[in-house]
Amino acid sequence: MNLRARNNLIGWSFIVIAVIMICLFYFYPMIQALILSFQSGTGTNLTFVGFGNYQRLFSDTTFLTTLGNTFLFLIIQVPIMILLAIFISVLLNDKNLKLKGFFRTAIFLPAVTSLVAYSVIFKYLFGPEGLVNLFLLKLNFISDPIQWLSDPLWAKVTIIIAITWRWTGYNMIFYLSALQNIDNSIYEAARIDGASSFRQFTNITIPLLKPIILFTSITSTIGTLQLFDEVMNITKGGPGNSTMTMSQYIYNLSFRYTPDFGYAATVSYAIVILIVIFSVLQFKLAGDKK
Amino acid sequence: MKKMLALLLASMVLLSACSSAATNKTGNESETNGDGKEKITIWAWDPKFNIAALNIAKDAYKAENPNLTVDIIENAQNDIVQKLNTGMSSGTTKGLPNIVLIEDYRAQSFLQAYPDSFFPVTDYIQTSEFADYKLGPTSFEGKNYGVPFDSGVTGLYVRTDYLEQAGYTPADMQDINWDQFIEIGKKVKEATGKDWLTMDPTDLGILRIMIQSAGSWYLKEDGRTANLQDNPVLKEAFETYKKIVDANIARTHSDWSQMVANFNNGSTAAVVSGNWFTPSIMAATDQAGKWAIVPLPKLTNNANSIHASSLGGSSWYVLNVPGKEAAAEFLGKTFGANADMYQKLVADVGAIGSFKPAAEGEGYKAPNEFFGGQHIVSDFAKWTAEIPKVNYGLHTYAIEDTILVVEMQNYLNGKNIDQVLSDAQKQADAQIK
Repeated sequence: MNLRARNNLIGWSFIVIAVIMICLFYFYPMIQALILSFQSGTGTNLTFVGFGNYQRLFSDTTFLTTLGNTFLFLIIQVPIMILLAIFISVLLNDKNLKLKGFFRTAIFLPAVTSLVAYSVIFKYLFGPEGLVNLFLLKLNFISDPIQWLSDPLWAKVTIIIAITWRWTGYNMIFYLSALQNIDNSIYEAARIDGASSFRQFTNITIPLLKPIILFTSITSTIGTLQLFDEVMNITKGGPGNSTMTMSQYIYNLSFRYTPDFGYAATVSYAIVILIVIFSVLQFKLAGDKK
Repeated sequence: MKKMLALLLASMVLLSACSSAATNKTGNESETNGDGKEKITIWAWDPKFNIAALNIAKDAYKAENPNLTVDIIENAQNDIVQKLNTGMSSGTTKGLPNIVLIEDYRAQSFLQAYPDSFFPVTDYIQTSEFADYKLGPTSFEGKNYGVPFDSGVTGLYVRTDYLEQAGYTPADMQDINWDQFIEIGKKVKEATGKDWLTMDPTDLGILRIMIQSAGSWYLKEDGRTANLQDNPVLKEAFETYKKIVDANIARTHSDWSQMVANFNNGSTAAVVSGNWFTPSIMAATDQAGKWAIVPLPKLTNNANSIHASSLGGSSWYVLNVPGKEAAAEFLGKTFGANADMYQKLVADVGAIGSFKPAAEGEGYKAPNEFFGGQHIVSDFAKWTAEIPKVNYGLHTYAIEDTILVVEMQNYLNGKNIDQVLSDAQKQADAQIK
């Protein structure tokens, strides 16, 4: 055995445990789920139906509703959150800002709360007689309580507010760390050239943050496509199906109604396909060849 | 090279140790100790009702078999459903109980999805001693898997003092239909300013009550095909529901505690519900003597509709895990045979089973002072015997939650009823397999 092969072997042996573990706990279940997605039936009585489940997806109105809901959350919530996170991080990066640590902690704090705990609190805040309604009523902004949870439109708004509150701080941290890596001399040069603050922001900050914007929008997109805890706890997908997400539909198919694990696996793969499409799309749009 | 081999071997040993540790643990909840003592585990929900009933059964069984330890664990119903689905589909029986309570609407879904996971109790009970309508949901392929319990029999609970202000007495309500029910509701609201009903727009329980009273269901006899389009009973139930909403006599609630609060603070005058609602009504002790329970209204234009129906009844099931004989024996000797125990059940818990011989006992004939001395238990027992038998099938909640709740809103917003039901049918046919 020559030295090169020996070195290779030693190298591989270091990662062999990780590889085995990943194969066992990631790839094996993935392949099993793929096989499962070609079967249908109740509980343990599964039979192969070929692409039957995938065809069923397109005629299943509930699935299409959940797809629509998920996209609505995605299209509205992700841009709002990303913009908000950039805005806040730029504010907090200001050298003259006092109590910087306090503000950063305060805005990051929601990201460390448990998903279920904060969802339950939001449910109470936005209840018919909850704090938010009470506040708006007492200040005479509204004359009747807003049906935050039982009106199809407002329920969606509530969910968007909740996830924005929970995840903005998390994304802000990425931007903050990226901002600190931008060389201050670039800004100095821009100022000498007479560029306004806004100009500096659009022509220096944004382009230099691009990789991070790409990263956060991909992770946020994936997170939103998998949205589950919030809707499950705040609205239970209601009223009707108006806030039900794809992940919640998978849960309902498996555990709430007569279980059809095969079809649930198919819906899971639909999410996988969507995530792949979106990630590719975002890479292309960002124009990076990496 | 040797080092690498050693590393590989070590990792192999580690892995196999992990897997063997996992398989070794697939022991069971039920263990027989050396001294012949046996232990069974039971899952149920609702501490005031089902758990309380179990505790009475446990005490009653001590005389029969002191060697059996009964461990009762309270879980929310949704958690039980989820845990059963996870446990049974994984193929391991570890962590599952010996006995579990399952709602009748869901029973077939479990029995048919996991046919080998349940243990038939046919040999441990006399099925003829139970109310007929309970036997359909609890049996599969000719075998009985469930010991029928909570009858879920419905009645109309009314505030007699509010009725009087509107010029009615409970005697006027013994044989009414839903149209008359709505008329009375309007009068009561006029006279007292109190709402007649309280409803949750996402829970169509009242619809289920109406259609079962006429022997119909969301699903056809086979339990698999949706029965929505051209179902005259469901159509009338939808129309009745809309009449109630349009009459403006119902307030809305979004969860159980709000609903109970609406009665306990006196702002609602009537409720149509299963007999398990009695403890919640009686929680407002200051309203003692102001309530009565009258028979369920029947559908106005349907000759088959009667004054009896059921809402959310449940039954006990034995899982096919070690200890099943002891568990079945326990159920057979208590809920399946002990008429005296049922007297204690109605007296202490207000739980009305579906065990027919129990109706002869003293406890069933006793008057209830909270309800103005009405013999509520014997009334409920009488209605229980009349409940029409329907096949709840596999998809009751799937149809209701994902389709009917949405279509009901469309209907209330002005969509044509035939269109509503035919759209619902189309969706159900596409979704339910």
